[in-house]
Amino acid sequence: MKGLFAFLHHLFVPKENNNFRAKALHINVLTYYLLLALVISLALKTIPLEKGSVLGFATDITLEKLYQLTNEQRTKNNLSPLSFNEDLSEGAKLKAQDMFAKNYWSHYAADGKTPWDFILASGYQYEFAGENLAKNFLFSQGVIDAWMASPSHKENVLREDYTDVGFAVVNGVLNDEQTTLVVQMFGKPLPSYLAKAPTKPPQNETVSTQISRREVQSAQSKSYTLPFSFNLSLLFLLYLIVALLLDFYFASRLHIVRIGGKNLAHFIFVAFMLLGLMVLSKGAVL
Amino acid sequence: MGHFFIHLKKELKKHTFDYILLVTAGVFFIALLNFYKGERLPEFIIVSFFVSFYILWGIYHHTVDDDIHLKIVVEYVLIGLVLMLFFKLIILP
Repeated sequence: MKGLFAFLHHLFVPKENNNFRAKALHINVLTYYLLLALVISLALKTIPLEKGSVLGFATDITLEKLYQLTNEQRTKNNLSPLSFNEDLSEGAKLKAQDMFAKNYWSHYAADGKTPWDFILASGYQYEFAGENLAKNFLFSQGVIDAWMASPSHKENVLREDYTDVGFAVVNGVLNDEQTTLVVQMFGKPLPSYLAKAPTKPPQNETVSTQISRREVQSAQSKSYTLPFSFNLSLLFLLYLIVALLLDFYFASRLHIVRIGGKNLAHFIFVAFMLLGLMVLSKGAVL
Repeated sequence: MGHFFIHLKKELKKHTFDYILLVTAGVFFIALLNFYKGERLPEFIIVSFFVSFYILWGIYHHTVDDDIHLKIVVEYVLIGLVLMLFFKLIILP
């Protein structure tokens, strides 16, 4: 315990044996932080990812969480919860894959395909249908908050007519950038007397839906890459802020005169980077 | 605690313009990030610009204060680069 206290004292309090500057802010230690960030960056690049997977690898966005949060919003507004529908999820997956394949960020593809085409392709015959899109969010809560903050998306989430919902969280490259797409499809099925013979996809495509569910379940333990990065960045920023504040406090209290960077300036810079980190956790909705 | 605020006040009073400039740049940084949220490459460019501005601000500030030294410049560069690299982990993994 004494040793830990002495170490923390050396790390955060300016005194003679750390040249009157908190050790955490010494140039050699800052260099170690840089090397650590480089090592982590290289390590994360080498984590193997499944090819062609529909897993959202770079975020903490999960289908279960999106579904839970969507229904929470509906319950808050005295609406009946939506049922999770695999066909709508399949339609959402097809839409996301099409967006990556044809490199567009829009409800309507350049070749004229509409969201309803993907819903019908999955075998879901709808009376009502709707679509919400999101990209580059880090957390499920952020996605739902952004949709609820936009009147048109909120209207979809809270529409009384819908009874079913499906989701896809897909990672890929869009406009030359690594992107995580979230597609939310809503629907109400046609009454049975109006429904045509189901146009379910052939057997192997149904199997891919089942596989994708297994992938989704295994994704719970695999979606760690970016939340880890986000948490690490957040922790490091907070650690720097604490180090700067303590160093400034003790230096002013002990009337230490020294040559070095201005702690106040570093503090302002790190504080704005921290705010920037919060903004970065939000993506774009369509 | 009193010494802390006295020194803080002294520093702000002595270099009011410099700190207003830094805070203004910070506000622009947040506003631009918010405008381009969801667009990864613009976000990274904005972070890079803010880090570069910060390093240049440090050089300017210490030159005006007449205590510019290579060690000080290296400190600003290292802090800027470390944070930029951590942000790159999130923006461009």
